[in-house]
Amino acid sequence: MIRAYGLTKRYGEKTVVRDLTFTVRPGMVTGFLGPNGAGKSTTMRMLLGLDAPTSGRSTIGDRAYASHPAPLRQVGALLEARSIHPGRTARAHLQALAHTHGIPRRQVDAVIDRVGLGEAADRRVKGFSLGMGQRLGIAAALLADPATVILDEPVNGLDPEGVLWIRNLLKSLAAEGRTVFVSSHLMSEMAVTAEHLIIIGRGRLLADTTVERFVRDAGLGEITVVSPEADRLRALLAGPDVRIEAADGRPDTLRVTGADGERIGRTAAAHGIPVFELTPRRASLEEAFMELTRDAVEYVAHDDDPTTPQPTPTSQHATASQGAAT
Amino acid sequence: MTGRPDDLVTQSQQGQPRQQRQPRRRSAGSPTVAVAGPPVDYRVTWPRVVRSEWAKLWSLRSTWSILAATLLVTAGLGAVVAGTYQSGDGDGIEPVELTLLGTQFGQILLAVLGVLVTAGEYASGMIRASLTAVPRRLPVLWAKAVVFGSVALAVMFATVFLTFPLAQVFLSGTDMAAGLGDPGVARALCGAAVGIALLGLLCLGLGALLRSVPAAIGAYIGAVLVLPEVVGLLPYDVVDDIVACLPSKAAQALMMVDPGPDMLAPGPALFALCCSVAATLAVAALFLRRRDV
Ligand SMILES: Nc1ncnc2c1ncn2[C@@H]1O[C@H](COP(=O)(O)OP(=O)(O)O)[C@@H](O)[C@H]1O
Ligand SMILES: [Mg+2]
Repeated sequence: MIRAYGLTKRYGEKTVVRDLTFTVRPGMVTGFLGPNGAGKSTTMRMLLGLDAPTSGRSTIGDRAYASHPAPLRQVGALLEARSIHPGRTARAHLQALAHTHGIPRRQVDAVIDRVGLGEAADRRVKGFSLGMGQRLGIAAALLADPATVILDEPVNGLDPEGVLWIRNLLKSLAAEGRTVFVSSHLMSEMAVTAEHLIIIGRGRLLADTTVERFVRDAGLGEITVVSPEADRLRALLAGPDVRIEAADGRPDTLRVTGADGERIGRTAAAHGIPVFELTPRRASLEEAFMELTRDAVEYVAHDDDPTTPQPTPTSQHATASQGAAT
Repeated sequence: MTGRPDDLVTQSQQGQPRQQRQPRRRSAGSPTVAVAGPPVDYRVTWPRVVRSEWAKLWSLRSTWSILAATLLVTAGLGAVVAGTYQSGDGDGIEPVELTLLGTQFGQILLAVLGVLVTAGEYASGMIRASLTAVPRRLPVLWAKAVVFGSVALAVMFATVFLTFPLAQVFLSGTDMAAGLGDPGVARALCGAAVGIALLGLLCLGLGALLRSVPAAIGAYIGAVLVLPEVVGLLPYDVVDDIVACLPSKAAQALMMVDPGPDMLAPGPALFALCCSVAATLAVAALFLRRRDV
């Protein structure tokens, strides 16, 4: 379990993470999503006590990370920035970390096996491919069999095989009951691995929701209606809160926003209008993500005074999504 | 550096026994990965951090090559200097000083290793892994200092007690002939070993402070080795007194059988050098605690 309370980080004048509050629960993969520069890596470094928050605090397993007597047992982390000396062998690197916690040699062998490093374990890290380096980083994260795993952009730069391997690993770690917190700037990646999403843009929380709900919310309520009497139906549905557009080049198709399927169906039935198709449109995750983060970008563009909170589409969206998630 | 750092005492007091941690893991629904054998108490303790630093030091090739080079360069130069020496050449030089001329280079090699132990971790990013494993941070610095300090001391003792007899083989019959049993010689050799090891430790502190290998080596050569020579040229007595206390001069005084009037006596020299090292490490510790990684 990871909890962040109002985490804020400023580098000089620049606020990189702003008042982030969220909870990451065990037993599932939680995706930490945001465009490049959103503040994901900074947040993760703060969770691990590597960067001190300007304000706010965080706990992992109900305590500040640094106050655990056996920190690696609580949290295994793969950071975005390289954190391995290239002159050591993979085994020596893991063994050096293992010594700090008195982790036995056989556990080092076990994680080397688990990540499939094999014979490469006794080669110097200098000659490792990106994928092998990533496997070594993950081996280090799993070294003490931690309750929580934090991985910063683990699939970056990996080949398809490596990506698949990480996906399956994350799922199995979650299935083992661990808290799994994974960052990515790719919605498509999170869509297939994560169950829960925490989305940030420009250091702000934009959404804290399940993947499923995120997709549904993001559909924007648009429904495609196909009917031979489209014009009549259109007139009947019309209202101040309902927007209806004709589909390009298809006189029998309407795109309705602001009325749900039930209302459209009942209206059609009441007036004896045949309906051939009634399809809620599901936005793709990538579209929904871009929609959300575009708001964040716009927000910043108008944000002349960063210290005054201003009501904007961004903050409303965040509130709505958070409300929905809890 | 001696004794248990406060940080660790607090840590072990806060350390929970494993029995208290187990139920929490179970309630989180986290079956542990099967590892055969008795349950292990995974706590960060001072001996474990030292062990980790020991493993880190010896798992890098650079450690072996730098230490070997320190010994070989010092002994080799000692032999060359002694082999080419003719009575009367060494005006005002002591036998120990002459045989240990190679330490001028050996000391820089050891200094580089000291810098690599700390600043090297920032260059590779390893420091992030180290401080994630030991988030209290200070034990890492103390352990590095203890491990490197002991190794440096051992290697320097081996170096000087090898170099001196070796050089003396060539010096018998000259005015530089001396033996380990001669008054002050053994003490000067020990002083040389301790002084150079302490300079290495100073560099370890500089590396931790400056977080950059070139910057720390530059600072060592510029501020520690060259600056006192330059400042020493100023014609004020006060300046001379201060210069004598600076680390490089104190280390130099330590390897003299009979320190000159402008040098500190062995006791005060050791004290001054220890103060410099302690101050550097203290500032490095303060920064390590405060700064982001
Ligand atoms: N140490 C630092 N000093 C100054 N700015 C930083 C530092 N670390 C990160 N930043 C800035 O903070 C922002 C967020 O960075 P980061 O947390 O790496 O984002 P992400 O991981 O989401 O891509 C970026 O604009 C980056 O330039
Ligand atoms: Mg990042």
